[in-house]
Amino acid sequence: MAFRRAVTKRQNLCLCVVAGLLLVFMIVNVLVGSVTIPFSEVIDILLNHETGSTKGFIIWNIRIPRAIAGCLGGAYLAVAGLLLQVFFRNPIVGPFILGISSGATLFVSIVMLTSLTLGFTVLNPFMNTLAALVGAYCTMLVVLSVANKVKSGVTLLIVGLMMGYLCHAVTSVLVAFAEKEKIKGFVLWQLGSFSGFKWSEIQILLFLGGAVVVLVYFLAKPLNAFLLGEDYAASMGVNIRLFRMLILLSACGLAGMVTAVAGPVAFVGLAVPHMVRMLFGTSDNKVLIPGSILVGAMVVSLCDFIARMVFSPVELPISAITAFFGAPVVLSLLIKRRVDI
Amino acid sequence: MKKGETILSTRDLSVGYPKKIILKGVDLEFKKGEFISLLGPNGAGKTTLLRTLSKHLKTLGGAVLIANQDLKAIPQDKLAKTMSVVLTEKVNPPLLKVYGFVAMGRYPHTSWSGRLEQRDDGVILEAISMVNAGDLVFRDLSTLSDGERQKVLVARALAQEPDIILLDEPTMHLDLKHRMEVMSILQRLCRDKGICVVASLHDVDIAAKISDRVALVKKGMIQAFGPPENVLQEDTVAKLYDFNNASFNRLLGTIEMKNHGKKSRVFVVGGMGSASVLYRLLAKKEYEIVTGMLHRNDIDFHVADSLGAHCIVQPDIDTFSSEINESAREEMGRCHWVIDTGFNLEKINQDNITLLKDALALGKPVFSLRNGQSRECFTDVEYDQINFFDDECLLVDQADQNFKHHEALS
Repeated sequence: MAFRRAVTKRQNLCLCVVAGLLLVFMIVNVLVGSVTIPFSEVIDILLNHETGSTKGFIIWNIRIPRAIAGCLGGAYLAVAGLLLQVFFRNPIVGPFILGISSGATLFVSIVMLTSLTLGFTVLNPFMNTLAALVGAYCTMLVVLSVANKVKSGVTLLIVGLMMGYLCHAVTSVLVAFAEKEKIKGFVLWQLGSFSGFKWSEIQILLFLGGAVVVLVYFLAKPLNAFLLGEDYAASMGVNIRLFRMLILLSACGLAGMVTAVAGPVAFVGLAVPHMVRMLFGTSDNKVLIPGSILVGAMVVSLCDFIARMVFSPVELPISAITAFFGAPVVLSLLIKRRVDI
Repeated sequence: MKKGETILSTRDLSVGYPKKIILKGVDLEFKKGEFISLLGPNGAGKTTLLRTLSKHLKTLGGAVLIANQDLKAIPQDKLAKTMSVVLTEKVNPPLLKVYGFVAMGRYPHTSWSGRLEQRDDGVILEAISMVNAGDLVFRDLSTLSDGERQKVLVARALAQEPDIILLDEPTMHLDLKHRMEVMSILQRLCRDKGICVVASLHDVDIAAKISDRVALVKKGMIQAFGPPENVLQEDTVAKLYDFNNASFNRLLGTIEMKNHGKKSRVFVVGGMGSASVLYRLLAKKEYEIVTGMLHRNDIDFHVADSLGAHCIVQPDIDTFSSEINESAREEMGRCHWVIDTGFNLEKINQDNITLLKDALALGKPVFSLRNGQSRECFTDVEYDQINFFDDECLLVDQADQNFKHHEALS
């Protein structure tokens, strides 16, 4: 049908523009930093794959991993948010609604704030990542096991919220008893950051997350059916149980992965899907999924750039920037009621 | 599959929730091209039954057979090609055009990517035109009225190309126009497409006129199942809904509100359909109605009877017998005032004019809706005694005033 082709054309154009912007932001992120490296030198370093010099090290082991990590993190969080918003048919849902970030925070707080770390003289960053990963997936397992039993998505939503409160309660008790120095480190972790990524971490993030994203793209059709609610989706032939598991697993997997390595990054998962919906003017998830990937990556690239550069060399927490940027989006959405369910 | 073939049946089916059986021993048989209504009071289990038929709920006992295959054994995606549903749940996905929404019905027919082929577009457009929603194609779903939305929901169900469509209260929240439109669309689906439509309904009168068969659901079982002409009798319907102050009239196919006349007794001299509107108005204003003399085949009798009026009726279509005349006069004597509906004068109801003249002679206030030449049947003296009115409302307003005045005096 002609009108559908016209719409598709416009959406493809949108995708291309966003992809172009993303590329620009990534290049800027590599070129610009607190250490000034002239453009020609950067090109040299990139072409010769020079990692030996200080500048080469900065480009290859700090800036590029960070740029890529930011992209992946933003993309995954946005997709996770989109999945959950469709699944719960609720626009105010983000990837952390199921208690993923709270679980991760709880486990990290145990590692960072209690005497468990006594054995380590220097806090091993790897321990943090591991704890966050374990925490995120533990809460996820609890929520999933509940998901199998409860009928409605709303109940599940409340379960997630309660999990979040529980974890938060334990964390705050731990903070109350912790030493001052430790608290600062913990608070900084809580704010989230895409710095300090290793190539090995990026590889894991890329392949594992990439696999999940591909799976999610295959779920676009049942996701669309889910726009009408579980009952209609079932009547159209969606295997609700399997599908529910797949959606939750993918969403938790993606969000948990990012949280484990970057800490809880706020608002991306909540705000980006809305931006994508408005940008593309559709609820079709076949468009929204690639859209969320690109816009999520773009937004985080931009936010990370701002976080690094505004008060350089002091680095602002990424969550602060995303919230500065995400809260008005969500607010304006609510006030304009562009998206109502 | 041909029309008239059994497509959906249940065998000793029990429906409900794991801990609570709601309906037991359900044995139904629905054929292709049939319109089936599920009737019953709120909470009787109509929705539960529908949700079991649509596999949203597990059967608690017995079996649901679709084209002689057990529902349990049919995979969800195959079932979706045979059966579609329209639920009461409000759906409002954002940023979705009507076309895209109806296209969702193609779900079981498209490939993994959900890509719409040329044939799909054809089916979607046909579904949209079947429900007279051609003008809504590019409208955003959230901008539709309840009636338009309901039509679009039916179109989506239709796009699944099902043999059976189950609808849960499809006329809920709809205005009269859309109620009739949706029902006639559904009827057309049965007749033209040979689809079996099963709908839970609340309008007994519409159900009686449109359904091929009705199932009455109450007290944990199917009370009756069959053509509405057999099943929907006055007393069955009254029992089904525990009517206290309403009654179903099988001949008229409508429900009338029963009247407990609290105000004064009114004698209505009518006949040949001239009094039906007036009866309802009087009943609404809570007057106690006595009416006569009527023939049994008169529509006025059926309306008056449903409204709980006291009717003086003669079974034969003949001039009124002396006993009837006698009892009419007696009843009239006990009434506070008398209304002449302006009925046509025929040979066989001449006695009614005499009755009016007697009322005047007795000094009863007489209100009349009569106009034109037929007023000449009264003498000049009688004419002056009668209050003439142009329509029923004016008449009843005046009567109301008189009544209040009377009440104030006493």
